[in-house]
Amino acid sequence: MPVPGGAAFGPHDERTTVSVKLTRTKRLAGLGLGLSLLAGLLSGCAGGDGTETIRFTFSKREAIPFMTKLVNEYNASQDDTRVVLDTSGVDVVSASFVRGNPPDIALANYNMETSRFVERGALSDLSDTDAASRVREDLQPLMDQYGSYPGRTSALPYSIMASSVIYNKEIFAAHGIEVPKTWSELIAACDKLKAAGVTPFYATWKDDWTIGQGWFDYSVGGELDTIDFFKKLSEEGADVGPVSAVSFQKDFGQSVGKMLKLAKTYVNKDAASRAYGDGNLAFAQGKAAMYLQGPWAFSEIAKTAPDLKLGTFPLPMTDNPEDLKVRVNVDLAAWIPEGSKHKDAARKFLEHLYKPEIIEAYNKSQLGFTPTKDAAVNPDPRVEGMAGYYEKGQVYQGPSVLVPKTIPIFNYTQAVVFGADPATTLRTLDADWARLAFRQ
Amino acid sequence: MSTITPAKRGSGTRRSTRRVEPIYYLFLLPSLALFTLAITVPGIIGIFFSFTNSIGIGDWDFTGFTNYIAIFSDPAILQSYLFTFGFSVVTVIVVNVIAFLLAVALNARIRMKSALRTIFVIPMVVSGIIIAYVFNFLFSNSLPAAGAAAGIPWLETSLLANPDLAWVAIVIVTAWQAVPGSLLIYIAGLVSIPSDVYEAAEIDGAGKLQQLIKITVPLVAGYVVINVILGFKGFLNAYDIIVGLTNGGPGTSTRSIAMTVITGFNNGDYAYQMANATIFFVVAILISLLQLSLTRGRNAL
Repeated sequence: MPVPGGAAFGPHDERTTVSVKLTRTKRLAGLGLGLSLLAGLLSGCAGGDGTETIRFTFSKREAIPFMTKLVNEYNASQDDTRVVLDTSGVDVVSASFVRGNPPDIALANYNMETSRFVERGALSDLSDTDAASRVREDLQPLMDQYGSYPGRTSALPYSIMASSVIYNKEIFAAHGIEVPKTWSELIAACDKLKAAGVTPFYATWKDDWTIGQGWFDYSVGGELDTIDFFKKLSEEGADVGPVSAVSFQKDFGQSVGKMLKLAKTYVNKDAASRAYGDGNLAFAQGKAAMYLQGPWAFSEIAKTAPDLKLGTFPLPMTDNPEDLKVRVNVDLAAWIPEGSKHKDAARKFLEHLYKPEIIEAYNKSQLGFTPTKDAAVNPDPRVEGMAGYYEKGQVYQGPSVLVPKTIPIFNYTQAVVFGADPATTLRTLDADWARLAFRQ
Repeated sequence: MSTITPAKRGSGTRRSTRRVEPIYYLFLLPSLALFTLAITVPGIIGIFFSFTNSIGIGDWDFTGFTNYIAIFSDPAILQSYLFTFGFSVVTVIVVNVIAFLLAVALNARIRMKSALRTIFVIPMVVSGIIIAYVFNFLFSNSLPAAGAAAGIPWLETSLLANPDLAWVAIVIVTAWQAVPGSLLIYIAGLVSIPSDVYEAAEIDGAGKLQQLIKITVPLVAGYVVINVILGFKGFLNAYDIIVGLTNGGPGTSTRSIAMTVITGFNNGDYAYQMANATIFFVVAILISLLQLSLTRGRNAL
């Protein structure tokens, strides 16, 4: 703690005269010492012994135990490569690219975030790997929606997640409610539950991402063709605004309004101070009938209630059952940065990850869909309700993942749920989009 | 501990006119080299990139002042400046009032003085992010539960979920952590006041309150300036406690400047947020100059 004043060294004029003759050699020695200290600081990490160490980034919280086990087994099975699991999270990885020290291999959520690395050529080509040849070709549009780099396969899908409304089958059965297929049926079901004293939806608004990926994405994606919308929006670029052909304020207003109707009428009272973890616990305890989360929540719910009967259905946003769609995303994609110094070892590990027994075991454990050609269809009853839509291609990618992360869309959706004017917020979103297009 | 007297200042100016012994430059060299490598060079690189469209990696182009133009129409960034300055001013006042009164109390002849001082200093040694997560739990769970049990409706919803009041929670937690630092400085200041002035005041018939206002406050004025400057500087850089408490929410109501700058690294907006950081740098320099000119003459740091 710095202390005020204090003529720290006092009258030191006399003292200095003593050392006038400090020799040049001593000065040089001091300089040398300083430089060598500096060199030590700068040289950082040095090479190791025979085994090659690669840093493997994986931060999907629910699957860390699975991956830890897998990595330990891989390390025990051979001596050439030692894989170090890095679970420090998405933001750290992005910053590591900026610092020029990216991980050697990653299995990460595929979104606009990774899209930047793809488009600026920071990820290496994987097209000649065995894994790449086994990936289903019809999934390519999902990958391409986030951009590509000429002549490269920058990332390979590893786990596709379909998400929609999770519902408690026991509560639905107890109140004689069928899975709703239209908006009116949904409202009727909610009213019936509410009248019976059951909370229709459990909401966790403290964590803004749960609003973005669930409430917002299901509402908008259930009504709007997101691929088409974002294509047109990109063409408008810096002109997005009140007069452009497409805009958030024009095209999202209706869906956001419906979302707010659900959010204001049919959720738990303490939604604003509940977080994702609280939601999993409460839903496992049967405190609500429906939960707008992805399949990743199942494993968390199962920790509390392993035998709870759960199912899924797409959130109906229109009165036409033909419009039902499920939200999909490339939950995990594998990529190897161009900046990695251990690409060969990383590729070997990549092939290991894509071995049928491993990739299928992973997706089975996380209730995802395996994107390889020879994979068996996921049999878990909890995601059965979505499998049909997924296979028929009645899918959409959520708008919250298609907006560049520099626009705080999760914060905006949270603000709307907490009472901000939706029209104003959507106008802000338009302005943000236009500003981003203007400067990039 | 004493403040600098004019006499010493005079000797300082005389000294600077003499030839400076070269060995002092040698002492300066290591820290100068480290400072240049770790702060000046990255700073200049950052300012350079603020005129490009770089995302921190890969290819980039020059875009001139585009980023700066965009910033001045970006409500999120403007709001972060407004929030950060408002928050800093309020927190500085709260921290200094509490710390001063606590220091007066802890400097009086009371029981268990040193034990109490130790207890009050503990928050200073706990990491901000940990404090923030603990308070986050208290605000989100314990307080609403207490409110529900006591039947106080406004307490039942979390303070952190209220876009208009979340900043209050941040002020409370920041102050809780920052009070001990100011407290120590105030105690040091109070100790340095000679007791004879109080005795003289007592003989003249001054009451305790008069002594506090007419003697204590003027004599620790220098420490108030120090605390305000150090505190303000620290609060402008607010980051960890906000991340742990609200993460900028609800909505975008509590995003500090430091948080928006860091999103540049995390969300691929490197050049844009470098421009923001450059503006913040200029603003910080202006504030420092203002503070220096205000405090010149007395209580110079």
